[in-house]
Amino acid sequence: MAAWRRRVLSADQRFLGLLDTSPFRIAIVYSMVFACGAALLLGVVDFAVSRIVDGSTDNLIEAEVQGLREQVLVLSRSDFIELIEQRSQDQDVRGAVYLMVDPQLRPVAGNVPAWPKMGANDDKWIQFKVSVPFGDETREHEMRAQRFKLPGGYRMLVGHDVQERQDVKNLMMRGLIAAVLLTLLLGLGGGFWMGRRILAQAGAISAVATQIMSGDLSQRLPVRNADDEINTLVREINSMLDKIEQLTLGMRTVLDSAAHDLRTPLNRLQATAEGAISGLAPGSPERKVIERVSTEVDQMRSTLDALLRIALAETGTVAREPVNLSELVASMVELYAPVSEERGIRLESSVAPGAEVQGSRQLLAQALANLLDNAIKFTPDGGRIRVVLRAHNGVPEVVVEDDGPGIPADKRELVLGRRVRLDEARKVPGSGLGLSLVAAVTKLHGARLILDDAAPGLRVSLKF
Amino acid sequence: MHILIVEDDEVARDYLAKALREVGHSVDVAGDGLKGLHMASSIAIDLAIVDRMLPKLDGLALVQSLRATGRKLPVLILSALGEVDDRITGLRAGGDDYLTKPYHMSELMARIDALARRGDSGNAETTAKLKLADLELDRMTRRVTRNGKKIELTAREFQLLEFMMRHSGQVVTRTMLLEGVWDYHFDPQTNVIDVHISRLRQAIDKDFDKPLLHTVRGAGYSLREDE
Repeated sequence: MAAWRRRVLSADQRFLGLLDTSPFRIAIVYSMVFACGAALLLGVVDFAVSRIVDGSTDNLIEAEVQGLREQVLVLSRSDFIELIEQRSQDQDVRGAVYLMVDPQLRPVAGNVPAWPKMGANDDKWIQFKVSVPFGDETREHEMRAQRFKLPGGYRMLVGHDVQERQDVKNLMMRGLIAAVLLTLLLGLGGGFWMGRRILAQAGAISAVATQIMSGDLSQRLPVRNADDEINTLVREINSMLDKIEQLTLGMRTVLDSAAHDLRTPLNRLQATAEGAISGLAPGSPERKVIERVSTEVDQMRSTLDALLRIALAETGTVAREPVNLSELVASMVELYAPVSEERGIRLESSVAPGAEVQGSRQLLAQALANLLDNAIKFTPDGGRIRVVLRAHNGVPEVVVEDDGPGIPADKRELVLGRRVRLDEARKVPGSGLGLSLVAAVTKLHGARLILDDAAPGLRVSLKF
Repeated sequence: MHILIVEDDEVARDYLAKALREVGHSVDVAGDGLKGLHMASSIAIDLAIVDRMLPKLDGLALVQSLRATGRKLPVLILSALGEVDDRITGLRAGGDDYLTKPYHMSELMARIDALARRGDSGNAETTAKLKLADLELDRMTRRVTRNGKKIELTAREFQLLEFMMRHSGQVVTRTMLLEGVWDYHFDPQTNVIDVHISRLRQAIDKDFDKPLLHTVRGAGYSLREDE
């Protein structure tokens, strides 16, 4: 992963991103739970109400049926019919329905216009609809009733209007559905709102974090005027950043003074040596000694340069700029082509155009130079070196492959450490810092350094 | 040439002054930044060598103040810092060149010569045709001829020759070439520059009696008409 890659989200991605926020997911789960709760509560209420209301209606009907069964035994048919008519007209008993039919199911008495159509082996309880005048119109009312047989093939139906009960039930059902929908809607809305807030805050934090990682250590995360846990976290991260900035700048200061304190005496030594050389005859033993001193100073200088560059890269305080990686790789290959040709080494390259990274051109160049120096050092005369720059989904990868002795798998981790030179490498000159610098520069650029077997030889890959 | 050295390290300063006097320059020295700034603004000086870390007034601040007063003299900054981006800050502050300690006297001399020459032949960067003896380079047509005969060069060889011709008669060091032609600031472990130079030499000198591209032992290269 490249540390300094910035993501630009389209409106669609932002919306999808919103669905992915934790407040939104929490809101969805909670509104589901609340909706289920509301449904369950209303279900229970509905059940209880039905039990009570249904129970009392049924008792009423049972009692009336019982009474009529007794009356039919003591009254003549015409008196019984009169009784039914009487009860049918009775305004006090609201909602009670009666119907007496002859064996051909023709109505004889009662306030129901026709015998409800239903099979022979029905339950004791039946439910049917009857048109009832309602103001100027008629309404279908739900009835609940019991039937029983009268002497002489006549039949009797006794029941009650349960439409009101049904209305209450329907109302409750509608209320239930409305409540569930409303809960879901509120939950979703709340989730969206909270999600957007979080996304906005996360976006601001992520933008600043990107800047900080690209080396601008003075940046701080935005603190909002609230006392929530996110702000507390942001404040803590900011004080952590203060500390990191302090430490890093401290490191840089230490590095600068170390550099100064080492370079100054080395410079004196070099100046003194060169001053002495100019006064000595060429080839004299004294001059040879002094020349030796001068060469050692050069060696110390290049080691010091390498160490300081590694340390600087590791502090992460090196200024960054857009680096045209394609141009850099091509020009490094071009720089090293003649020197490898001298050795009869084929330096092949394949460079994808347009690859760009954020970083330090000089350090990247030094890292590539170290890899090419190494490859040329270890590739036998007449061998082959391959340099490849390719891009996978805009992520550049640089590969340097030689056909030298390679590095055994168990020692690859080791050579990236400071000053490690494998036995085979002691025959060739070098400070042993080459790969450490490559590792430090790779890390500074948020890239991954992979050493692999090129069968034969070494394959070094930098994945940005 | 009249050169001002602003350096607090006495040993390095004395050797530097001595070496510069030996090749015929007149030298003034200052041991701290304030004195250096005062001298640079009051005496007629052709070039200043300024150490980056100085007592009383920092080397970069000195160069900035000097530039703020409109003084255009070439300034070479010497630095003992960590490098990499220090060089950029040094050049941004108004330095014309930047050299890290410890340096070779030959490197410093070559850079001073280049800086001084840049001062008096300011149009060398813009003239279309560069000429040295019978060698001609046309920057517009990118054509190189010697004694009228066309010489085929790669793009990089052309750049290399152009750089050498702009500095003809001077010593050009390997690091100056790596900086000037490739824009890289590091010491390659291998002799990459030498091989590029020997190819250029093959191209421009091989078929001709008088060589133009010379190796200066212990310093670098020089493109000049040898008497």
